[in-house]
Amino acid sequence: MRALGIFLRALPIIIVGLILHYALPQHDVVRVVNTYQERQDLNDWTRIFWARPDDQSATLVNRDVQFIQTVKKKTMLLGFIPRETTEAMVYRNEDTGLSWPFYFKFDTANLQTEADDLRSTPEQPKWAVMTHYGWRNEYFSAFPNAIAIRPIAGPDVRVIPWFNIFFFAFLIVAIVMIRKMWFQFRERALDPALDSAGDRLDHMQAGVAERQSGFRRWLNTWRRKDRS
Amino acid sequence: MGFIRLIVFGFVGLSVIYLSMSLYSRSVRREKLEKRFDAEPIEGMSREDYVRKGVVEYNRGLRPKLLLLIYVIPAVVIVSIVYVTNAN
Repeated sequence: MRALGIFLRALPIIIVGLILHYALPQHDVVRVVNTYQERQDLNDWTRIFWARPDDQSATLVNRDVQFIQTVKKKTMLLGFIPRETTEAMVYRNEDTGLSWPFYFKFDTANLQTEADDLRSTPEQPKWAVMTHYGWRNEYFSAFPNAIAIRPIAGPDVRVIPWFNIFFFAFLIVAIVMIRKMWFQFRERALDPALDSAGDRLDHMQAGVAERQSGFRRWLNTWRRKDRS
Repeated sequence: MGFIRLIVFGFVGLSVIYLSMSLYSRSVRREKLEKRFDAEPIEGMSREDYVRKGVVEYNRGLRPKLLLLIYVIPAVVIVSIVYVTNAN
């Protein structure tokens, strides 16, 4: 029972954490291998893993999506610790337009061109930093969405996640602010209102007690004093 | 349509934040005025008058106008995100 309580209390944090992990930008060190375009069916629940570039795309049953095939440097702990090994990673390249998540990406065609320009072989690798959001899941055919790509000299770079730093700083400020606002509201508006309501209740109860018969009052003298 | 939806929902959301922030800020100022009066009362002036005068002064001051930045800053942030995402 106690474990269930902890789980239920942790559940909102887990959900918010998952949403943030899906939607916030992350950086991968990649080597572009190839790009391609493929028709995608969009009419089942995995639709949530595809973007909505514009309003008409919301009702489409299928459409062409561009992809960027890469070899990616593996990382540990949310990308903070680089590893020496590599893995295959395929990104989709879709506009997010003006809808969730709010990257306001309209330059899909340009990004595809830049990715094509960076294609390289294992013998003569050209490394790049790929900014993306989303998850790769082979079983649901989910792909992270590429946001930007920028060439780098070598695969050993330290990318400072400025956006995420500012985002979490802002999030902490917002949470502290909401707490302060709530306490101020409770102190200045809620407690006085409840106090006056409580006073009225006390007066009512006092009036009732006054009207009680002498017998009841005598009976009450036998009751323990700490109970009201 | 997407643009209008963004504008409408953004405006509603920011208005909620703006209204609660302005109520909060005024409430904090009122509390400060009350405490200041309680610490050193002014002769010939009631507590209510002192607080009312202070709140009127607050309304005229710079701080309530600064709260309008709640509308300005997200707009600037969105425009810069649009630029940073799509500029090469």
